[in-house]
Amino acid sequence: MKGFLAKILLNTMSKRKRPDLKVPAPYMTEQEKILYNLIQSKQDLGIWSWDIKRETSLPDNVVDKSLKSLRSKLLIKEVVNVQFKGRKHYLASEFEPSSEITGGKWYNDQGFLETEFINFLKDQCLKHIRNLKIATVDTVANAVRRSRVLKIDCSSQEIGDIVRALVLDNDVIEMRSNGLGEFASVPTGRMCYKCRRSPDAMKEPRVGVMAWIPCGVCPRIARCMPGGTISPMTCEYYSKWLDF
Amino acid sequence: MSFRPSCDPLASSSSSNTWSPLVQRLEQEQEQRQRQQQPRGGGTMVPPSQYGIKYAVHIISSHFGDLVAKVCECLLRRGPLTHRNIVRFMEISASQVKNCLLVLIQQNCVQAFSVEHPGGDEDESRRSTEYMAVFDNIIHRMRFPKFVAVVSQELDKECVELFQGLLQHGRLTLEKMIDRAKSGQEDCPAQDATRETLSKLINARFVERCPDPEPHLSPPSEEEGRARKRTKFSKVAAEPQTIEERVLAAAAPMEAKRFLTIFHTTTEEDGQKTECSFPGVGEKRKCDALESDKELGSDGSQVLWRVNVQEFMHRFRHKACVENVRERLDGGAAVALNAMLETSRSMEKKVKTDNAGPLTINTIYEEVMKGEAGRAMTLDHLRASLVMLGCERGTDESYQIDLKNIIELAQNEEVESVVLKRYGREAYRIFRLLSKANRLIETDKISSTAFVDKTETSKILFRLWKDEFLHMEKVVVTGPRQTQFLLWKVNKSTLWPHVLDEMYHAALNLNLRVAYELEKENELLNLPIEKRSGPLEKRYNRLRTVRLLLESSLMKLDDAIMLFHDF
Repeated sequence: MKGFLAKILLNTMSKRKRPDLKVPAPYMTEQEKILYNLIQSKQDLGIWSWDIKRETSLPDNVVDKSLKSLRSKLLIKEVVNVQFKGRKHYLASEFEPSSEITGGKWYNDQGFLETEFINFLKDQCLKHIRNLKIATVDTVANAVRRSRVLKIDCSSQEIGDIVRALVLDNDVIEMRSNGLGEFASVPTGRMCYKCRRSPDAMKEPRVGVMAWIPCGVCPRIARCMPGGTISPMTCEYYSKWLDF
Repeated sequence: MSFRPSCDPLASSSSSNTWSPLVQRLEQEQEQRQRQQQPRGGGTMVPPSQYGIKYAVHIISSHFGDLVAKVCECLLRRGPLTHRNIVRFMEISASQVKNCLLVLIQQNCVQAFSVEHPGGDEDESRRSTEYMAVFDNIIHRMRFPKFVAVVSQELDKECVELFQGLLQHGRLTLEKMIDRAKSGQEDCPAQDATRETLSKLINARFVERCPDPEPHLSPPSEEEGRARKRTKFSKVAAEPQTIEERVLAAAAPMEAKRFLTIFHTTTEEDGQKTECSFPGVGEKRKCDALESDKELGSDGSQVLWRVNVQEFMHRFRHKACVENVRERLDGGAAVALNAMLETSRSMEKKVKTDNAGPLTINTIYEEVMKGEAGRAMTLDHLRASLVMLGCERGTDESYQIDLKNIIELAQNEEVESVVLKRYGREAYRIFRLLSKANRLIETDKISSTAFVDKTETSKILFRLWKDEFLHMEKVVVTGPRQTQFLLWKVNKSTLWPHVLDEMYHAALNLNLRVAYELEKENELLNLPIEKRSGPLEKRYNRLRTVRLLLESSLMKLDDAIMLFHDF
């Protein structure tokens, strides 16, 4: 929630802080210098501890001790790599991690998805698509900006990510404009979006026939057979379904 | 600030540049492997799946008993067999096998055909009769109430009655139909009335002439050569057919004869009944034992009629398309589509027609105005609906619609619904992403595009893969560090048959549960009504509700089976 509110209320932070030139650099051993130079060379992408060991060919215990020392001297910092949360990833202190590492707007500092923020943006985009009837990514992005509901700027590409997620949720249909009828205002060939159902309609998509019966949702159907441990005659799902 | 790659699956990202050529290569290799693995003589008819066969056998068993079901199962599992081989595999007497085959042929569930077997150096070639189970016709037996409903809506009570007779008996001559209508009365009007009723059914295409009882199949090499012959107009040779397709094509009457309403009847005064005619109405199904296999064919002098299933499949396919469009778009689009389909139905040569049209706007509008729902529709509203349907528009304001696309959308919705209910919303998003992309996508890309946490994405993907909803490939990239990537794809060519098999399994389960519930309350069902009071009446009402729910679910599930198998 903290991260979500920060995205709504605060400006984005800069990529790199300027090093304070008045403070003298702390003393480093030779091994620490090798490690620090390597980490600094990776800039905002940083480097995994395993890669540090491989590239420097220093013994593991030396690397671990040096990294601990550099951290205590505030020359490097450990960050969460959203793609590999379990790995120790290091950056020089003067750099901010790139979105490749952090996951960009969609991830918090701990490397987890900002689900609430994403859902909030989805609701906003859906509302604007419903108002526009037929919308493109650009018209939705403009509508979101004009509404001033966000203090941070979301690019058209990021809004596009959200709109395409709405397509995956089946809340919105995507189709190419043919320039006719309701698509008259959209150039031919441009991808546009339309709400799938009215606001009063049920949130969930229509339930298919197979999904409506117990066998359709059963994860054990492959093992079900007459006379078996799982069978239509003894099935619990069936019993609940037929419990009148 | 650099951004993560676009969620458009078709957009390449900077982070995936190192392996996207590898992915493309993998896809090409996979497609090549799939083409090589296709059975020789691919054709379009897919052999029945495991539960398809079990379901078919269950239907035959319920309708005709276990012995007939076992013969049917033997043919379904082993393919076409001679009478002698069936006896050998079944280990029952020849006469029992013959009687079972008679029943199955009478009910259009088995088709006989003759083949030439080339002899050795000194032997002449010999001809034998083989019997082939017609899987589709067995499954159609569950749809008989739907067929009757269609006929009831369009024709009169007499037509429905005659039609029900054809369903019950499988195939009848006009003479047998008249006998049935007369019920023992010497009545001339009954003959004319029956002829007229049959004509109505034939003209509506609900009834057709039966196929040739024993067509001859040329040796495969000759027919394949003809099929593969390149003409100057074709760029690609025609695909050779499966044996089932060849037999059914050889047996089918010519289109000109199929619905020809010229009736010949033999009365007791004019003709003589052959020794081995088909069993009369209401008689036991036994034949005198004869050595030749010819007794299992029909008497050539009398035309046999049967239900034309293809007409009903056409109508059900159209109905499924209209209902899908109504739910997905709106009522106006459904009316427009319905009008196009009604107009073009007579022009469709096969059930699985890809397109409807092209039809001019005026032709469509004329048809729209015939229906109550369309009378309030203006021409502009119709145009807007046709645009919404995604119709292709020609220069003379003619419109054509891609029916295959509508069917595919309906199939996608059905499978996605199962994924949502079985695996949850995040799995639903992931599945839809892969289904739309129709190509291999790497785990991280799926996670970022579908907005699902990476750890959770991997778990979901493995579950879907384990349950055969997804195809997975590993790519190992060698370099400073060896990295393994997992790529995922929805492979509809394997997934759709898997889903269909599960549907057959579910249909079989519904049938078995109905039988179980009725068996459980057998004593209650045998009680007279006046003794069913208090708790017994409550149990009886519960049983009635349960049966209604199970049987109506079976009918709805059958619609889904048609969507995947017949449409």
